[in-house]
Amino acid sequence: MKTVKLMLAASAALIISAGAVSLAHAQDLPPLAKKDHYKVGFAQSESNNPWRIAETKSFQDTAPKCGWDLVATDAASSAAKQVADVDSMIAQGVDAIFLPPREEKPLLPAVLRAKKAGIPVFLVDRSVDANVAKAGRDYVTFLGSDFIDQGHRAADWLIKATGGKAKIIELEGTTGSSPANDRKKGFDDAVAKESGMTILASQSGDFARDKGRQVMETLLQAHPDVTAVYAHNDEMAIGAIQALEAAGRKPGKDVIIASIDGTRDAMQAIIDGKLGVTVESSPFFGPLSCETMKRYAAGEKIEPWVKVSDRIFTIDNAAASIAGAY
Amino acid sequence: MSGTADQMVTKTDTALNTPKPPRRAGLLTRHGTLIAFAVLLVVNVVLTPNFLAMQTLYINLTQVATIAIVALGMTLVIASGGIDLSVGSVMALSGALAPLIFLSGFATAHPAIGLAAAFIVPVAVAALCGLFNGWLVSRYGVQPIVATLILFISGRGIAQVLTNGNLQTFSNPGFSFIATGRLLGLPVQAWLCLALAAGAWFLVRRTLFGRYLLAVGGNERAARLAGVPVRRVKLVVYSLCAALAGIAGLIVSAINSASDANQAGLLMELDAIAAAVVGGTLLTGGKAPVFNVIIGALIIQLVRYTLLANGVPDAVALIAKAGIIIAAVYLQQNRRD
Repeated sequence: MKTVKLMLAASAALIISAGAVSLAHAQDLPPLAKKDHYKVGFAQSESNNPWRIAETKSFQDTAPKCGWDLVATDAASSAAKQVADVDSMIAQGVDAIFLPPREEKPLLPAVLRAKKAGIPVFLVDRSVDANVAKAGRDYVTFLGSDFIDQGHRAADWLIKATGGKAKIIELEGTTGSSPANDRKKGFDDAVAKESGMTILASQSGDFARDKGRQVMETLLQAHPDVTAVYAHNDEMAIGAIQALEAAGRKPGKDVIIASIDGTRDAMQAIIDGKLGVTVESSPFFGPLSCETMKRYAAGEKIEPWVKVSDRIFTIDNAAASIAGAY
Repeated sequence: MSGTADQMVTKTDTALNTPKPPRRAGLLTRHGTLIAFAVLLVVNVVLTPNFLAMQTLYINLTQVATIAIVALGMTLVIASGGIDLSVGSVMALSGALAPLIFLSGFATAHPAIGLAAAFIVPVAVAALCGLFNGWLVSRYGVQPIVATLILFISGRGIAQVLTNGNLQTFSNPGFSFIATGRLLGLPVQAWLCLALAAGAWFLVRRTLFGRYLLAVGGNERAARLAGVPVRRVKLVVYSLCAALAGIAGLIVSAINSASDANQAGLLMELDAIAAAVVGGTLLTGGKAPVFNVIIGALIIQLVRYTLLANGVPDAVALIAKAGIIIAAVYLQQNRRD
């Protein structure tokens, strides 16, 4: 009897201590005080493409509306520079850091240093391996698009537009990159459920207009019976339009094209009737970042992945939306 | 393969380096490039759907032109015993400059002058880049691979700074003619490439400069002692290579109606070197088989086309490319013994 009691007591103590440990873990994330004004750091990874430039601009535009004193840096494609940028933000004593980690290995120690210094970190548009760092423990959350869903929505639109019957050429992004993998998975899975939809060929166009055009020229010659094209980004879709036109086809009429990104050029192509749809992959993280930060300051528990709500652009809304496109 | 310059170089080579008497090369080693090309054509006729069509020819010619033009310049540099890694970046630079010029206020006011400047200025700037490469190599004896690495890195950087890293899109039929127009049923850039190849052949085979070039590449010390202006030859050869890369850069911008400083000419140096090697250029210098290099570029292009059209994944395609280069180098080894 005595031993049973002892064991019960021991296990109870164990449970309590385990609870305390997990509680300590949850408290590990540095809290954020509720204030009207914050000093916020945004450590951009590079500014060599329109998407990144639009992303930085979105943070700058949000700053006055959200009461931010924004410290924005540009790492110019160097992980080492980005680490230095984050360290300097820690030294400046910012209230929160928004970070698209260029490479996870070198950036992770900087994220942990920020946590130690009591600064909450929000990862933006690029996540890190869940095995090395966890949302809710090492950083607050990841804000980003759902690439699988983007592919899925492009497929849904294409199925509708073609009445469920199409012979598709797929232009993939850079082999091995996560947007390319996920956009392919989302699209291919959705299309596989429709018996009338077949993918004739699927090749990488490296997310680039020139390569996309060349690959499309070649695939078009090998598969002249194509009726639809799915490109993993707008640049390749525009390359495909050029290839189709050079071969005497009518993009938008003989061949229906679906794409992802929502760039200004793509919107123009939709208005011109050449591109059918582009699913947005929004660079406009500013407002969502503001909202998420306010929720965190209010003591709300933030989900590990805050999904960006991506719009979808077709002939119905392209003309109205092109002014805001990047 | 049997020009006097070649014989001269072979003689010096034999005298200085190889004690063995030259062996009679077999049919495969002598005409390996042509045979490989013929085999590739036959394979395609059998395997690839819709291969025998005018459109196939048209596509391949439009796509091969840039590789071939850059490979011509690369061949000249390699023949001088050097190498040029900066061609891709120079392409990006000239491709970015052209739209900046014809979209400028002055050019919109004077379209004809603007268009002419959009062709001339970028190629001239490219040639200056080459002059810089040649200057480092000839004046300071910097290893070509290191000297051209400088512009390989900074050339694209300059192009990105000029365009703010943004894609510049445009619609200019006059400018795009060099990449989308047709003459006698074939793409303009194919004719341009052919003309440049003929020019390069004439330069190598029929001019004093050509003799100098092969002599420098064959044995630089001997050439210098024989009174060849080695420095000047190198300056000219690097400038020519960069100018050709500049032309290729214009074509890429023209065909896409957009200049992309981040992507234009990416990995072009490797394709150009591969085409030169497959065409039978010795990386040690002293040889400039101009027309074989064009065939080499066609082989690189046709392999890419074949693999793509038959649904072979990207990763496997890269391995196939490497296999072809290994085969070419193997044949060259036989030729040198």
